[in-house]
Amino acid sequence: MSDFRAIRAKIAALESGTRAQAGVLPFGDASLDERLPGGGLPLGRWHEIVGVGLEAETSAAPAAFAALMARPLARRGEAVWVLRRDDLWAPGLAGLGFPPERLIQVCARDEAETLMVMEDALTTVGVSAVFGEVEDVDLTAGRRLQLACEKRGGTGFVIRRRPFGGAGLKAAAGSVATTRWCVRPTLSEPAAGDFGLGAPRYHVELQRCRGGRTGAWILEADQAYSWEASDVAHPLRLVAELGDRELAPAQSAQARAA
Amino acid sequence: MAAVNRAAAKLGLHAGQKATDAMALVPYLTTDEADPEADAEALTALIDWCVRFSPAVAADAPGGLFLDITGVAHLWGDEAGLMADFRDRLRVNGLPFRLAIADTPGAAWALAHFGADGIIAPPGEQAGLLKPLPPEALRLDPEAAAQIGRLGLRRLEQIIALPRAPLARRFGAETLERLDQALGRSAEALRFRRPPTPWLARLALVEPISTPEDMARVTEDVIAKLCTRLEAESHGARRFEIAFHRVDGKALPITIGLSLAGRDARRIARLFQPRLETVDPGFGIECVTLAAYDVEATSGRQGRIDADLAVTVEDGLAPLIDRLVNRLGPERVWRAAPVESHVPELSVGRAPVLGAPPPGAAPWDREAPRPVRLFRRPEPVEDVTALLPDDPPLQFRWRGRLHRVRRAEGPERVGEEWWKRGMDEISVSHVRDYYRVEDAEGARFWLFRAGLYGGSDAPPKWWLHGLFG
Repeated sequence: MSDFRAIRAKIAALESGTRAQAGVLPFGDASLDERLPGGGLPLGRWHEIVGVGLEAETSAAPAAFAALMARPLARRGEAVWVLRRDDLWAPGLAGLGFPPERLIQVCARDEAETLMVMEDALTTVGVSAVFGEVEDVDLTAGRRLQLACEKRGGTGFVIRRRPFGGAGLKAAAGSVATTRWCVRPTLSEPAAGDFGLGAPRYHVELQRCRGGRTGAWILEADQAYSWEASDVAHPLRLVAELGDRELAPAQSAQARAA
Repeated sequence: MAAVNRAAAKLGLHAGQKATDAMALVPYLTTDEADPEADAEALTALIDWCVRFSPAVAADAPGGLFLDITGVAHLWGDEAGLMADFRDRLRVNGLPFRLAIADTPGAAWALAHFGADGIIAPPGEQAGLLKPLPPEALRLDPEAAAQIGRLGLRRLEQIIALPRAPLARRFGAETLERLDQALGRSAEALRFRRPPTPWLARLALVEPISTPEDMARVTEDVIAKLCTRLEAESHGARRFEIAFHRVDGKALPITIGLSLAGRDARRIARLFQPRLETVDPGFGIECVTLAAYDVEATSGRQGRIDADLAVTVEDGLAPLIDRLVNRLGPERVWRAAPVESHVPELSVGRAPVLGAPPPGAAPWDREAPRPVRLFRRPEPVEDVTALLPDDPPLQFRWRGRLHRVRRAEGPERVGEEWWKRGMDEISVSHVRDYYRVEDAEGARFWLFRAGLYGGSDAPPKWWLHGLFG
């Protein structure tokens, strides 16, 4: 296994050319981390997060998932969130453990401006994570984002969001994102004897991953809505692995029944 | 009639006359509608243009202006040089004018209106020049002027010679005040169009420029000029205004703001850069001025040896925020700050990104589940069924889709802020019961019911306020 890792790291180094590695952010679970290049979410790159169905427009689960994934980053520097529609609600992010005092919100007027602000923020010293709500990132824009990420090692999260009342999301044609995650909320499981809802759970599908493998999982934000959220552990906990993408629907039904 | 031209004045017409009377006297009289607002605008434009001569320009409505040329005349050699340049430029613009320079605004006004054109009163000698002028030269109100005229006082020297006390008693304190102001015995405060700032840099160009590259270069030069001064005196400014003075007499200002007082010429130039293309150079720009406002003392900063490792706000975040604020507008860049209110949409305020957070409000309760997306306006949901009045809904329809509720939490009751309104506006229909529900597919919603069942009011309505994701 370790040989594999070494070879993989070598390949990754070759692929990335001469640029410095900004490190990775492990999820803390082997079945997830081994699919990702370098054993965790690569930093100094940009990642794409999409929602399905109505979530492509409301984009609540993708936003929550992006905030959870980037929470360890927010402790290292400022986070900038570029919006088109101003409906992100800081108390909700605070409940998920994301520090709202580290969050700068920017409301851009159009798609091009969103990307421009993202690039600008990514190249700024002291900004560790940049979120952007964009309808589509074409190859040129994606390449520019990647160059901006590499400049300072900032990590970008592009949340693909359809404008209100717009047409369906365009199929991602040859995106240059390092990873693409498809996120939707899934049924929560409260602890036995508890009423109400359990910790938020997400059905997460890693649809593409440069230098890694795809996969699908059910993840739970088990520290959400509590003061006990520790700063050490990753806020997302693996509940179930759903195997390969093709098999995901059948297995997810099983996982639900279980 | 508001004004008459020279030819009309020769025919015996004067301002203040009724137009019909004037028509009776001169049947071929041409009149035009008076437009005081346009006049005021034109005067403002002229004042903006005059900034090239002095930063302190005050309007003297309806048709005059004062320039405080203290300490600027030497740029033209002497006062005569300044006046000659001023005269040439006004003439090029085709404006009729009369100029005078004196120690006091009052004396300058009197000499410009009633003395010879272009008179320059030597320091301390305006009294002699004022003597032969008529009493109207004191900027008196018409009644006092008429009174003085009735008493046979035709020249200012007669008034100056009068004892002060009877003068004030007979013609009002204002007459005395005006006299003192003209003679420099008492100070006069002018209302300058823009607050004069001592932080002003000015570049006069030999040849008018119009290409974008040239404009960028002179911008950099004028910024460097002012920033060197700021640096030398350990100051920084939060606001800079650059004005491009065009050949045709228009001044085009651009303002930028900094979130922290600064004097880094390169950074400031970069903030101006994207806005330069909005400036229309017309037939060319012949002068550039830069003024700094909100100037405060900033200590010099030593560049650290390990500058790459440690990062301060000044290096990284502040320039980014400045760029964003200047490009997008200050209302589009913010940090969310807690506000003490239990009404959800009021519990988040906007704070500026840099600077201390507003004190007082406790942070949001992290144990209360709150949605990630909150709609600005709650969206109505239909077809809601609930078993009991206080039960969470079993199903609801939102945006045309029916959602069956699998799990639910609530209610969390949020009352209105009744102490902020009148007694008669309080109603149970403002009470909201919030439920957090999860539908059969796992989507989590934040619903509320406005109002209570069983009241005399309309039945309660259900709304969707946010999404947890």
